[in-house]
Amino acid sequence: MLALLFLLFAGMAIGCALAVVAQRNPLYSAISLIGVFISLACLYVTLAAPFIAAVQVIVYAGAIMVLVVFVIMLLNVEEEAHQRQRLKFLLPVAIGLAGILIAEVAFILVTVQGTPATSGGLTHLDETNVGLTQSIGSALFTQYLLPFEITSILLLMAIVGAMTLARRGMLSPNARVVPGAQVLPLSMVDPTVGHEDTRAIETDSTDEAARLLGVAELRDQSKRE
Amino acid sequence: MEPQLSWYLALSAVLFTIGVTGVIIKRNVIAMFMCIELMLNAVNLTFVAFSSFFNDVTGQLFVFIVMTVAAAEAAVGLGIIIAIFRNRETLDVDEASILKL
Repeated sequence: MLALLFLLFAGMAIGCALAVVAQRNPLYSAISLIGVFISLACLYVTLAAPFIAAVQVIVYAGAIMVLVVFVIMLLNVEEEAHQRQRLKFLLPVAIGLAGILIAEVAFILVTVQGTPATSGGLTHLDETNVGLTQSIGSALFTQYLLPFEITSILLLMAIVGAMTLARRGMLSPNARVVPGAQVLPLSMVDPTVGHEDTRAIETDSTDEAARLLGVAELRDQSKRE
Repeated sequence: MEPQLSWYLALSAVLFTIGVTGVIIKRNVIAMFMCIELMLNAVNLTFVAFSSFFNDVTGQLFVFIVMTVAAAEAAVGLGIIIAIFRNRETLDVDEASILKL
């Protein structure tokens, strides 16, 4: 029964993974990747790891793929064009390398299966609490507390880095004001004015800020140029 | 017949190889990004399989941390992709061959 489930979900995972690579539209690739994640979560359940399975669905299939799909739709990517020929040799190279990798792994697996197991404990135990949330939580907050804290710092750095990368540069000639009331100096609305006027105003848009500061004509001129 | 440890390892190897192939042959940077996620998941499957068969919780903690790193990678990577697209108006990695944004 468990072997049947393994074959079912392994087939689903491999099929969806092949679809991820074969699809030309990135959105279809993303949906196939969600299929891979779901079938891997089912495999985790058969491995008696329900907590990891739940986290897989929530974090991977939920959060990360929503982010990816959001970026795909934000950038409005069209399908990959067929006209590029420069890197065509990569396809046979990739298939050859994949064949070599699979052959190596198969050789190792066959070799290892031929030798007798040293510990003899490589079987499923039905009465185990390894995969439960309680055992994972107690190990995470006692023995592995330092990696946990380092991970939190990593996440903080990721937040700051993503915001820094994705934000538009400030003080460019076509500086834009993000919707929402904010206080900004005159030089930010129109850099040609210079820095002598440091009067700050509160506004909702760049045009409104220019009107309030009395530089609307100046700004129109610089736009036309 | 119970599934053996080697079955899971073989499945993980196949998934990882598909991911490697995708990274090599894909030109869209978002598609390459998704293939990298596929490789991370293949490694996660190895960790969970070993953890389950050895009755040791450490492997699942590794998976937990790998997932966190993958989330951070997704946030930063997609930020970089947006920055590249804003400057080059394309997602083709061959176009982004000059190390200047």
